[in-house]
Amino acid sequence: MVSTQLSILTISGSILIIATFSVVARRGFIDWLNAYRHQSIVLAGVTAIIGYITGIWEIYIAAALTLIVKSIIIPKVLTYVTRRLEIEFKIETNPYVSLRTSVIISALLVGLSYFLTQQIPFKSDPVVNVLLPVSMAQFFIGLFVLVNRRTVLSQVVGLLIIENGLFLFTMVLTHGVSLIIEVGIFVDILIGIVISSILLFRMGRTFDSLDVTNIENLRDD
Amino acid sequence: MDSIFANLTILLLFLTPVASTGLVTLFRKKRIIGIITICSASLILVQVFIIISRIISEKTITAFGNMFYLDSLSVIILLSISIVGFVSALYSKNYMGRQYDHGTVDDKHIVRYYQGFNVFLLTMLVIPTANSMGIMWVALEATTLVSVLLIMLYYKENAIEAAWKYLIIATVGLSFALIGTVFFYYANINAGSADDAMNWTSMVHNSKLFNPNLIKIAFIFILVGYGTKAGLAPMHTWLPDAHSEAPTPVSAVLSGVLLNCAFYVIIRFHIISSNAIGPEFSNQLLIIFAVISIGIAAASLYFQKDMKRMLAFSSVEHMGLISLGIGFGGLLGVYGALLQIINHAIAKPLMFFASGTISQKYETKAMSKIKGIIKVMPVTGVLFLIGGLALVGMPPFNIFLSEFFILSSGFQSGQFLATSLVILFLIVTFAVFLRHLIKMIFGNPVVPMKKDDMGKLAIIPMVILGALVLILGVFVPQQLQTLVQNAATIINHGGFA
Repeated sequence: MVSTQLSILTISGSILIIATFSVVARRGFIDWLNAYRHQSIVLAGVTAIIGYITGIWEIYIAAALTLIVKSIIIPKVLTYVTRRLEIEFKIETNPYVSLRTSVIISALLVGLSYFLTQQIPFKSDPVVNVLLPVSMAQFFIGLFVLVNRRTVLSQVVGLLIIENGLFLFTMVLTHGVSLIIEVGIFVDILIGIVISSILLFRMGRTFDSLDVTNIENLRDD
Repeated sequence: MDSIFANLTILLLFLTPVASTGLVTLFRKKRIIGIITICSASLILVQVFIIISRIISEKTITAFGNMFYLDSLSVIILLSISIVGFVSALYSKNYMGRQYDHGTVDDKHIVRYYQGFNVFLLTMLVIPTANSMGIMWVALEATTLVSVLLIMLYYKENAIEAAWKYLIIATVGLSFALIGTVFFYYANINAGSADDAMNWTSMVHNSKLFNPNLIKIAFIFILVGYGTKAGLAPMHTWLPDAHSEAPTPVSAVLSGVLLNCAFYVIIRFHIISSNAIGPEFSNQLLIIFAVISIGIAAASLYFQKDMKRMLAFSSVEHMGLISLGIGFGGLLGVYGALLQIINHAIAKPLMFFASGTISQKYETKAMSKIKGIIKVMPVTGVLFLIGGLALVGMPPFNIFLSEFFILSSGFQSGQFLATSLVILFLIVTFAVFLRHLIKMIFGNPVVPMKKDDMGKLAIIPMVILGALVLILGVFVPQQLQTLVQNAATIINHGGFA
């Protein structure tokens, strides 16, 4: 592989991680959405490069879908649904772990994903070496965001980051499973986001706040 | 010639719910769309019986190249989907009609309900028929989305909360499952498979060449991921909420079939993993999760105040038992587990239907306010009692048989610790569940009520299921026996029929 391609991939990998970190370090929903949008654009670029290296045309379709669905449609839908929500629903004021500690934990998670990917026996391939740890890091940080935050909106963002990590993981490791499955995954995500938006909308009307600790009527005690 | 027949069978199987969804959208009349759904569900049932007779004589069916692959194992799941789908469609008509009269839902909701119900059936039919593990994943994720839509049919706070929890937890769980699936795919590519590396048949074919370390990690991801959807503890937290807040016919499908569909995918991967690294690894994991599930279910059953939540926890227990049987392995254990899949799919919907009718009559789900069912609704009360006794594993009913097989295979395979722990938990479950049940069924109602069984259409599906519970308890039909035996051989002998 040409060294310029490799360095582009390395730089894109670091941008992906930086975008993930800005979700961890910021409090506002609009900031997260912007970070997610930038991350998705870079992700589409990375996918296109992988398509160029491997020469599989189906990957270009996946790249185009990423660009359209994740960097345009999903942010649009989420901004549209949340436009009427009160501002305090959109700001994470009181996460379980403070933002400063969250950044440190996320850094540790990045280290963990580099460690883990070295344990698993993969074929030595520059694309895998560069990007697989990045995808695992996205996955772990997404999980962390999901459990650490109190507002419902940040759970959606956590889910989106997890999903980006998964997409990169699949793309890097397998150069895309067959197109029909790829499209199926995209459709599932899109519908999932639409449904969660409908739910968010209804929650905004029925609940007093979108704090997950308030949404706990159903429990066994 | 033969493959044309197979293609046609599969195509018709999928077209039936699709056509029915279209017709429901077209007509939009409350009376007609209920009948359309019943017709399509009974058509699916007939088609599944035709497929079963083919499978018994030919062992496997492949269609559309290698896209669809059916063997005895997938047919068992198909059978449970079609039976529960049929009785739920039948029960829906009465139940949703009453909800409508009561004012809980309006015309728009009813149309949405039947559309969702048909699409839900379609997505579930894809899972056991698909050959590609990727398509199975997509279909399973689609079942989550459709069932979330069905749960949020009611605009209640609790329903929204349950739908949200279910959506988030199941999606995160399935993302683990996707990682596991990709690992298996990667192992298969490295073992030299080309185009069809995502297909189960290809994975089984190459499984001896897989990298053992990779498969171990992959199977853990699979078990945690699909285990979330199958309701194995400790990933079961969404289950009681979703199952208790959904409309009752949907609860029955969620509990009786959807859990089985998720577990079916685990069994598929279990077969591959057993081929690649020997059965010990996956067996141990399955047993551990099973014991935790049964234990947690036993403890949680004690504290339940809500009737449908109690049934949901009983589902966790029964999924644990199925997992236990597969984990113990051997012909007896696997046979018991597969029989348990069918038995649970019959007994649990019976209980949900009865509880749905009861809660409509008493206008509450709280067990403390429900007394004297047998005096108010004699038929429903008797059926509720039969279903309850079956669920705790009383001898003349069907679940006793499968539980007996599973537990004796535990002693046979020398898993004394796990088996005795499970027996202990089952005794607790038995006592607690029966106590709740007897308190509700006997005694006198808190406020005097008119004796009324809520209409024939509510009773008929329950009578069908109750009869099946009784019949399967005393004898298993020859065809079902062959089917379950063949499926057990598939699991025990590395995947080929």
